[in-house]
Amino acid sequence: MTLSKLSLILIASSFLTSAYAADPIKVGLSGPFTGGSSSMGVSMRDGVKLAVTEINKAGGVLGREIQLVERDDEAKNEVGVQVAQELISKEGVVATLGYVNTGVALGSQRFYQEAEIPVINNVATGSVVTKQFLGGDFKNNYVFRNSANDTIQSAMIASEAVTKQGFKKPAILADSTNYGKLGTTDLTAALTKLNITPVATEKFNIGDTDMTAQVLRAKEAGADVILTYALGPELAQVANAMAKLGWKVPVIGSWALSMASFIDTAGPNGDGAMMPETFIQVPSTPKRKAFIEAYQSTYKIDRMPSPVSAAQGYDSVYLLAAAIKQAGSTDGPKIREALENLNDKIEGVVTTYDHPFSAADHEAISANIPVFGVVKGGRVVPMHPEDLEGANALRVKPKG
Amino acid sequence: MQYLPQLIASGISIGMIYAVVAFGYQLTFATSKTLNFGQGEALALGGLTGWSVTTWLIAHGIGVGVAYLLMIPIVLIFGMLQGAVVERLGVRQAIKTKSEAGWIMATIALGIIFKNLAENIWGRDALKFPSPLPEAALTFGSVRIQPMEIAIVIGALAMMLAVELFNRRSIFGKAVVATANDRDAAGLMGINTGLVIAFSYALSSMAAAFAGVLVAPITTAGVSSAAVLGLKAFAVAIIGGLSSGLGVIVGGLILGITETMTGYFISTGYKDVPGLVLLLLVLSFKPSGLFGKATIKKV
Repeated sequence: MTLSKLSLILIASSFLTSAYAADPIKVGLSGPFTGGSSSMGVSMRDGVKLAVTEINKAGGVLGREIQLVERDDEAKNEVGVQVAQELISKEGVVATLGYVNTGVALGSQRFYQEAEIPVINNVATGSVVTKQFLGGDFKNNYVFRNSANDTIQSAMIASEAVTKQGFKKPAILADSTNYGKLGTTDLTAALTKLNITPVATEKFNIGDTDMTAQVLRAKEAGADVILTYALGPELAQVANAMAKLGWKVPVIGSWALSMASFIDTAGPNGDGAMMPETFIQVPSTPKRKAFIEAYQSTYKIDRMPSPVSAAQGYDSVYLLAAAIKQAGSTDGPKIREALENLNDKIEGVVTTYDHPFSAADHEAISANIPVFGVVKGGRVVPMHPEDLEGANALRVKPKG
Repeated sequence: MQYLPQLIASGISIGMIYAVVAFGYQLTFATSKTLNFGQGEALALGGLTGWSVTTWLIAHGIGVGVAYLLMIPIVLIFGMLQGAVVERLGVRQAIKTKSEAGWIMATIALGIIFKNLAENIWGRDALKFPSPLPEAALTFGSVRIQPMEIAIVIGALAMMLAVELFNRRSIFGKAVVATANDRDAAGLMGINTGLVIAFSYALSSMAAAFAGVLVAPITTAGVSSAAVLGLKAFAVAIIGGLSSGLGVIVGGLILGITETMTGYFISTGYKDVPGLVLLLLVLSFKPSGLFGKATIKKV
């Protein structure tokens, strides 16, 4: 190769790099946009897109646009793994947001951990999600979360049922997936702390449509409240079976009780179901008001299919953008470091994030943030309206 | 024990759905000794088509009850066409070449294709089906039943009876019976047995589609539960016997009631086990089914 040819290549490549600097920042988005948990996945995606559009309008991050690379993981572990590999190797994303299903998150995250690319879980709630790569052989953990995990939710469910409402004989109804099984374990542990043993623990499969046996067993055991850990369609069948059998006891459960597939299929039978929520579609702060209005006008709907997912999806983008800005780079380890030491306060929809993460703590949502919602006339409304009034409206993770 | 009648009542309504789908298996087995393993998908397609027609009619200002009744004949015709397609694409060639297993793979493959098709048209979420009858439960002593559950039992029995009557009384039905008894002899007597087999496939899918719109108001419409239902109905057909109309009804009731009983008396986690154990027992001790006639296959 002659010297002139070499210099030509050098000049050409320098042009290429300068062109690359203005290239968009690619961010992965993985969630179930079809199937049983799609109301959560789609709302999450729409929340994420809303935030990305806002940030890009305001000039992007580091002078570059954020470009989303969306993939449908279909709530299937194996599809999630394929998506993760594609986003990392083919698309070269700097970080990935998403995951609605704990199993998909657990299966896919190892690829990001190995590639040292941060992941922010904005919907999945399994307690183990952020602990997969904590301590042991792992120097750093690349998995973050800004949703209320199942340890927080189950403790809230137990204390609402037992301490606040005074029920003594809870029955647990859960599906036989990982979500239901892990949730049952968390719930039983939370009840044990309050010196309560569930009078019945019943299971059902995804797709089961007749819950007569489960509900009758809970009734026979003398349950005075039903605690649930399952997904929308089956929860609706539980509510319908209770109505059919003419048995009225309160239903308190994980936030899946706010899924559109529960509320719509159960109809009036679902009224009164209670669940912990990080966000309820109520304009209790100026930021929430702006978010709800932007969401409604952008997507031309009145009721968000899953407000919690939408809000958490929206916030996760701002957390990531702040970290990239602080890191001054799209380098994975630097973004992780910045996430663990975020200096700017970020005003989000769910809460105001003031140092939300540290090296040891990758959970942005603390137990004091979620409030109880209740299904009423096809919508989720605050159960204790005072929870979202005045100084209570904005709940911030305590320092420490 | 006080809930025993309630458990039996719930078991009956599930069991009748298994019976209708199993009846569909019987129809094609009688004429061609082949089965449509896409029965579950045919049920789901019927439910989803019914959903589209019903919601469309309701959107055009027709009441729920009338819309539901108007929808039924459309779904029945749709089911027949769908069954005819299965026969044409999946079964005819296999019968012609006397292939032993070709039709098994072909009907399973067609079932998967129909499922994917449905997922693309209607999505994978279960859809809430408007109920033509009040959803509030009726009380009979200690038993509470939804009106739609009663409609399922009546509808299922009525449809099986109608098909049986058709087979026994009409001239075309007699051709079906003749083909079922001896295909070669029927052919020699001038009966177009190929057409009869195609017709039995149409009837079989029609039964499944009808079952689909019967259950949908209670269980929602969607493809996710199709495979499980198809498999359970197959178990019912085996338990009851592939050649006995009474067999599928009894088999369906046995399976439905065992399921709810096991769920209540043993554990809800093992609800599906006894039905399958029963299937294994029947296969070991009476392979032709509880009501089936033993046949000797000459090779």
